[in-house]
Amino acid sequence: MIGFFSQYGPVWAEWQPEFILATWVTIKLTVCSFILAVVLGMLLAIGKLSRFIVLRGFCIAYIEFVRGIPALAILFLIYFGLVPLGLIIDAFWASVIGLGMSAAGYIAEVFRAGIEAIHKGQREAAQSVGMTPAVVYRYIILPQAIRIVLPPLLNMLIILLKDTSICSLISTPEIMLRAKDVAMISFLPMHAFVLAAGIYFILAWPMSILTRRLEARMRRGLRSATP
Amino acid sequence: MNWDKLSELSQPLLIGAITTVELTVGAFCVALVLGLALALLRLTRFKVLHWLIDIYVEVFRNTPVLAQLFIIYFGLAYIDIRIPAFPAAIIGLGLNGGAILSEVFRAGFAAIHHGQREAALAVGMTPWATVRYIILPQTWRITLPPIGNYAIALLKDTAVVSAIAAPELMYRARNLITATFETTAVYVLVAIIYFCLSFPLARLVNHLERRQKAWQ
Repeated sequence: MIGFFSQYGPVWAEWQPEFILATWVTIKLTVCSFILAVVLGMLLAIGKLSRFIVLRGFCIAYIEFVRGIPALAILFLIYFGLVPLGLIIDAFWASVIGLGMSAAGYIAEVFRAGIEAIHKGQREAAQSVGMTPAVVYRYIILPQAIRIVLPPLLNMLIILLKDTSICSLISTPEIMLRAKDVAMISFLPMHAFVLAAGIYFILAWPMSILTRRLEARMRRGLRSATP
Repeated sequence: MNWDKLSELSQPLLIGAITTVELTVGAFCVALVLGLALALLRLTRFKVLHWLIDIYVEVFRNTPVLAQLFIIYFGLAYIDIRIPAFPAAIIGLGLNGGAILSEVFRAGFAAIHHGQREAALAVGMTPWATVRYIILPQTWRITLPPIGNYAIALLKDTAVVSAIAAPELMYRARNLITATFETTAVYVLVAIIYFCLSFPLARLVNHLERRQKAWQ
């Protein structure tokens, strides 16, 4: 065990700046794709619950399709598949768009469940006092739904963080790609990939604990709310 | 895009799709057995075992499956354990799924009132018989929808395995593109095939979830 870790010594000076840079890219990638996924997911959820049949059909089709195919397929389609059509997107932004579009399908379902959990009397009451549908969403539905969807949203953030690793396959310079590079140069694949996994773990674990706490608190809250 | 071209492209992809299904079934079986075993072992009184299982679950749930696959495929080669791509993929996805499913089973066991277990033990059933005839039949109803969801996620995760050159759908697609340069068409076909594989599963899980809600 000690023998294993002592081998990090000679290469550490070389690896450290590489991995710090790569970790930064991974974090940026996670945050950007999460923001895109939340915005897109919220719009899709509202669209799916809308009265306009065309809009509703489109949103349902998008959500079902995107949830049925791997994020990697979407990434490849955006990064490689659009090139023959003359659309060349930089690897980082292709990753953001691909992961964001994929995660939006899941987040839309999370939001839909959250919105549906709000009693419909709330919406009716708000509309009967003359609020417009947009105002109802902004001030009545969403503030209450956010509380319900927070734990699954955080869960989604963890999944996104882990999913950024597949962006290495379209050469986004994040942790996994760097690990592959240094593994090749130094002939220490075990060390490089264990270090990469360790970084992901350090980033993801605190969020996992937070999510579990929130879930436990939500359950307590729900139990005390129902007589 | 004419029909000849389409069938020419889809033939190798469908062969890859069969491998994808084999990979999914293989990893699913490993994950199911491992997850159930971990959850059952966590019911025992050995505290050390609890810690070890918790560490295992936390590590595998908080690191990307791609990193786990690379450690198994490239990392283990470093200490002279060489596993071919296909078994390595099944092991990697299976170990990962074991961690996920152990949590599912654990939640299922927790939902069964502890009086059930005590009553079974009190009438003289062995611990194994208790689990087999009292606990498990009742947990299936609770755990089946999340297990189905996991199977869908697993099917899609197999795409990642192309990175260690296991000859599944995504890997075949990449090879096909280097041979034909039909990038857009091939990736669109790949997306459609994955969708056709996962959509029936998704409908099934949806049905199970609705039935479970009706039960409550």
